[in-house]
Amino acid sequence: MTTKTTPQLALTRIFDAPRTLVYRAFTEPDHLAAWWGPIGNSLPRDEMDLDVRPGGHMRWTELFAADPRVRVHIRIDLTEVVDGELLDGVMHVSGQLPEGLEPFETRVRIEFGDEADGRTRLEVRQWLADHLAPSSEAGWLEAFSKLDGALATFTGVLR
Amino acid sequence: MLSLMPERTSADLDLLFGALADATRRSIVERLAEGEATVTELAAPFSISLPAISRHLKVLEHASLITRSQEGRWRHARLSPTSLGSAAAWLARYERLWTESFDRLDDHLARLTSEQPQPRPKADSQDQARER
Repeated sequence: MTTKTTPQLALTRIFDAPRTLVYRAFTEPDHLAAWWGPIGNSLPRDEMDLDVRPGGHMRWTELFAADPRVRVHIRIDLTEVVDGELLDGVMHVSGQLPEGLEPFETRVRIEFGDEADGRTRLEVRQWLADHLAPSSEAGWLEAFSKLDGALATFTGVLR
Repeated sequence: MLSLMPERTSADLDLLFGALADATRRSIVERLAEGEATVTELAAPFSISLPAISRHLKVLEHASLITRSQEGRWRHARLSPTSLGSAAAWLARYERLWTESFDRLDDHLARLTSEQPQPRPKADSQDQARER
């Protein structure tokens, strides 16, 4: 998969823990269940299926404390995996979704890097489906930051 | 968290992001953020024809990003803020998913590292107190 296109979402965060541990937190079921999603959501252990390797997958179900009817099925088909360093694949979101939300897919790339003092730099990037973000186009986030002011004004008007 | 934007289907969002995945159309949207404009006014900064601008406007209109009104001989285009808000909300929703999860991951990692035998001088007693 090409990494040349500009992701619609790019986040970086430094964690005060060794890289191998942060990687395990993403790739081992008990760890992932301990932190994924906002507080109150839960991931049933028996619905987690992590097969972390190139061509493998990560599957789990997310339950919402706020709405017991919701059962969100997440499946990441992994295309690129480098042990301790990289997870890249397509995330499919389906199941009994909150009202008004339809199933969709999005590409995610998660990179783990060493920082000083045994800390870890995590970089998460997320793309919409490739056909929606042609490689010749850049500047998504730039465009949105430019529009921020206008949006603030409009949301003010709407309320 | 996934309950934002109940009014938008993913098909709507496909249209929306598809419409915004073009530099000219993004420029038009930015121009319209300053106020409504005619096709001629919108075409002025670009070296492309009026029909080409009209085609871009049709795409934006189809994605509900703009509305167009007829006033006498002039068609004015204006920004429809709700659609643009949906695109921003999509991004904001994912940003929030990750940052909220990162906060929890921070706590989880702190617990794990404090359980390891190496002495960690700061905040260990607090973490253990919270954990049990």
